[in-house]
Amino acid sequence: MLTLISLVNLNIYSQNENKLKAGVNNLLRYGNGKETSSGLSYNKEYFEDLTDVKISTKDLSAGFRFEMNKPSELGRDFKGISKRYVEFTNHDNFDIRAGSFWEIIGRGLTLNSFEQRQLAFDTGLDGIRIIFKSALNKNKSIRFKSEIIGGYLEYSDYLKPERIEKYDLKDANLELTFFSLLDFGFNYVYAKGKIPSGIYETDINAHLPEIYFSFNTSKFQLFSSYAHKRTEISANDLFPVSFTSMGDGLYSSVNYSIKNIGISLEYKNYRFDLTTPDNQSTERPTKALPFQNPPAAVKQQTTVLTSRVPHPTDFNDEVGFQLDVFYMPGEDLSISLNGSIASRHYSFYDADTSSIVRFSTNKRNLNFLPSLKNDFSPYSEISIESEYYYSDKLSGKLGFYYQHSITYNDFFKDSPDKKHYITMPIEARYNLNNKISLKLHVESQWAYNSLREAKYQNFSNYFTSFFITRSPDLAFSISGEYTTDKLELSGKNAWLEAEASWNINSSNIITIAFGSERGGLRCTSGICRYINPFNGFRLTIQNIF
Amino acid sequence: MKYLLNIIIIISSFSLISNSKSISQTYIDFTANDLEGNEIILSSLLKNGPVMIAFWRTWCPSCNEEQKAMNELYSKYKPSGFQYLGINVDNQKSVSKVRAYVSAHNFTFTVILDTDKKIFEMSGGTDDIMPYSLILSKTGDIIHTRIGFKSGDENEIENEIKKILNLN
Repeated sequence: MLTLISLVNLNIYSQNENKLKAGVNNLLRYGNGKETSSGLSYNKEYFEDLTDVKISTKDLSAGFRFEMNKPSELGRDFKGISKRYVEFTNHDNFDIRAGSFWEIIGRGLTLNSFEQRQLAFDTGLDGIRIIFKSALNKNKSIRFKSEIIGGYLEYSDYLKPERIEKYDLKDANLELTFFSLLDFGFNYVYAKGKIPSGIYETDINAHLPEIYFSFNTSKFQLFSSYAHKRTEISANDLFPVSFTSMGDGLYSSVNYSIKNIGISLEYKNYRFDLTTPDNQSTERPTKALPFQNPPAAVKQQTTVLTSRVPHPTDFNDEVGFQLDVFYMPGEDLSISLNGSIASRHYSFYDADTSSIVRFSTNKRNLNFLPSLKNDFSPYSEISIESEYYYSDKLSGKLGFYYQHSITYNDFFKDSPDKKHYITMPIEARYNLNNKISLKLHVESQWAYNSLREAKYQNFSNYFTSFFITRSPDLAFSISGEYTTDKLELSGKNAWLEAEASWNINSSNIITIAFGSERGGLRCTSGICRYINPFNGFRLTIQNIF
Repeated sequence: MKYLLNIIIIISSFSLISNSKSISQTYIDFTANDLEGNEIILSSLLKNGPVMIAFWRTWCPSCNEEQKAMNELYSKYKPSGFQYLGINVDNQKSVSKVRAYVSAHNFTFTVILDTDKKIFEMSGGTDDIMPYSLILSKTGDIIHTRIGFKSGDENEIENEIKKILNLN
């Protein structure tokens, strides 16, 4: 590690003499304490250091990432160079990159590889990417962009890190733009994959063509994308006969904005692997592939308690809408409204009169719309948030969230899992002077879970945090949480944590936290994982140069 | 405790780098489209004066606080030649909300979409760091880098703007 840091130093110092440009950023995370999983508490210590180094000249750049995750907090342990690349660009119409990269095409229905370190999720590719763009006429009103990708992806299942899916992926993309108003895109992904399911490994060939278009004016935008998925499954011990599976997905969004109001409506219809409940599995080789990651079209939760009960989008079988409205009636007041609704496409029935369960689909004509009936496992959410600046010193936020979900049990039809949550966050901020600010954030949540014994069905959660910051260098916060939930997995009902951060300067920050964290489900960009409760010490150091 | 040595080495090495005043990083040029489809070329903007580049997301509370504060500072120092680019790095999946958000909040500065995060990555940004901003001198040198934003930081940013515009 010392050698690496010294090399980094040399690169930095050499940039003036050689007219090289260098950039380094480092993230160090250390934690030591106790983690609770399945009701058991055990010692947990992690040390993760990630250094990204980049060196570039005018047209050429190269970089690498050194990682030392030993032991890792989430995911696999690793020590060494995890990413490296070299890239040439003429900053005009040509770009070629060899090595590690992430990519998104359109809205990600067929290709959206990305990294989400907080969830130990990474679908980065290792290979080559070539981009060429140009105008088709003299006044550049008609332009095109073409892209070719060939790469290898090794995806460590973020829920079971030892389970590795391997893909050899090729992609060709063409985008045409007319008068900066209309865009048309065509994409084709071909992937050969090896997908483990228990002790078996299944070879697949996936073909994913996609077409998308957008219409853009300053006030109105429309985007729509359709992707088809054809997966050929090779015969093996798990699947004695080879077969082909078909699926598709549609995403559309409409935005309209005038001076102080903005409206956005999204529609999703994902059917990448429609199947009956007895066939569903996260290890199914016909499922939506890890490099496919379309828009979740549900609210990105920003409060502590609502983000614990997110809706995990099912890209294999989900249809729904999301509406967002931003309104600023005056300079001091802003109001944000959000509503979303989603469900699976069909309900199912047991078609076998014997004791064997064999599901069949209840066909319906309106399968392009979500249903709120129990047997469609619906999710709905509505929220309103308002922020008001009373004066230069005093401001506040108020919110109301209602989240409702039903997880239907096709095997035991009388016991759907109904949950709803009402959450009210309130926040007040006060600037004592132009350096010191105070913030009080309080959240109350009332929850209901139908599957529990009657006396445990209703419970509430309360979260309070108090922040004091001194610009530009110090921040301190203390957070407390309390639940009346007698069935809380960690066996606790109260958590308390203190955090302090010091900005050595504007690009170097040290943060120390000590106390207990409740854990729970955490989702970002449609990717969700359960984070275990933790009690102990955490250190984070961020540096950018 | 076995990690203590590693932590100390890393802190010391980076402190050494950060304290070095001899470092003068230069920004790499880029071309991107703003929300109206106009081509924005960084090198062309720099010809008119210093540029502050700030990366933000619609659902990041500190980013929103920074954007509001910067909207005011931009209006105040625009006549003196200060330029500000808000580069949105929302995932391409939520980009449909950006235009509505910008319009509703009456942001007057230029907003660029960097959905594939190429500009963000080129600028040394990572997902663990948000908001993230840089102030570039007219010659393209990075004279100020900032991770995060808290109330009152706008004063420090304003001082940097005044310094680079020679308004002190």
